[in-house]
Amino acid sequence: MAMRQTPLTCSGHTRPVVDLAFSGITPYGYFLISACKDGKPMLRQGDTGDWIGTFLGHKGAVWGATLNKDATKAATAAADFTAKVWDAVSGDELMTLAHKHIVKTVDFTQDSNYLLTGGQDKLLRIYDLNKPEAEPKEISGHTSGIKKALWCSEDKQILSADDKTVRLWDHATMTEVKSLNFNMSVSSMEYIPEGEILVITYGRSIAFHSAVSLDPIKSFEAPATINSASLHPEKEFLVAGGEDFKLYKYDYNSGEELESYKGHFGPIHCVRFSPDGELYASGSEDGTLRLWQTVVGKTYGLWKCVLPEEIASENSDCIYPSAPDVKA
Amino acid sequence: MQTPVTIPVPVLRLPRGPDGFSRGFAPDGRRAPLRPEVPEIQECPIAQESLEFQEQRARAALRERYLRSLLAMVGRQVSFTLHEGVRVAAHFGATDLDVANFYVSQLQTPIGVQAEALLRCSDIISYTFKP
Repeated sequence: MAMRQTPLTCSGHTRPVVDLAFSGITPYGYFLISACKDGKPMLRQGDTGDWIGTFLGHKGAVWGATLNKDATKAATAAADFTAKVWDAVSGDELMTLAHKHIVKTVDFTQDSNYLLTGGQDKLLRIYDLNKPEAEPKEISGHTSGIKKALWCSEDKQILSADDKTVRLWDHATMTEVKSLNFNMSVSSMEYIPEGEILVITYGRSIAFHSAVSLDPIKSFEAPATINSASLHPEKEFLVAGGEDFKLYKYDYNSGEELESYKGHFGPIHCVRFSPDGELYASGSEDGTLRLWQTVVGKTYGLWKCVLPEEIASENSDCIYPSAPDVKA
Repeated sequence: MQTPVTIPVPVLRLPRGPDGFSRGFAPDGRRAPLRPEVPEIQECPIAQESLEFQEQRARAALRERYLRSLLAMVGRQVSFTLHEGVRVAAHFGATDLDVANFYVSQLQTPIGVQAEALLRCSDIISYTFKP
């Protein structure tokens, strides 16, 4: 009997979910943060999607959100011209970092000592979180608003994407090392430390580049405009979502489209694999986050594998989704 | 053309959403041990904690978690594994001060259901319940 994917819908946001990020694996499991245009980023337990808390304080749409590796700190980037750093255990605001325009992206270093920000003012900023009063170091060079900025190569380099370019910078010298030009708008970027791979989406393309040299590795074309893609930690699969509301799953090695899932009621803005690769989360214009199993039918988190005999049994303690989420 | 019959993967429950009245981050949540403690009295913040003090704090945190787990059990169906491979189920009521006895009701034993009973904790190897 074949099993059908049951996505788990996490509700709570009232406007589009534009960014999401997982923490690393901690002794308390792993966590998920979602950025929303309602200005209220939320922290959830990563394997179940259970809401833990909402970070209250921003006065505008939150465009970017991230967690540090052990999920003790969170950072958010917002349209109120600030980036904020939060205590992810208590939910308290720790720092407000003023910027001169909408902030779009935030990223912690591995040791959580520095925060990288980028936004519409076209500047990359590096804040020393141990000296919040000190002025940040600034890197200029982008000619359009920065959409994503990430630490890479063990925080020795920085990757940043604006509308049509992806640039690699050296952290120590704060100078540009290399850049890539695109003739279509870059919609997303993901960095995979193991293997130094960069995943870039633009138009209907999902491209993989070396994060060290920016040389292209391979690329796939999807049936629709893609807004975000994520590579599985073991590099077996990748998932992508975009304007046609569907999630696509590809075999990374062959490029074969393995599955496509309907479920969201709006374009998908962000998609990320969990740190253990067992599930992936998608955030959509429809205001929801959905969790999807990598291996459909496996017992994990809230999903429970059931043998055919157990399905007919009345002692089964599971519930089935009342209406199939896969709609025409 | 017939599409293959598929059944949706069953789920235990749906993800919990916001409670609608607070910002969350429950003080007694999973990660409570990570919270910085609020000092009751003005202490010198520079003084280094002794190993003993740290151990005592850890013991206090673990004890608190255990007591909260007992509170969470009240009124629930609990399965107890006793000696000689005996398993019984009952509704948990309360424990005494030293956690030496558990007061339970509707104790399902191999020879019938006992309306109320005291289980000696020294007889219990383990117990489990679903919150």
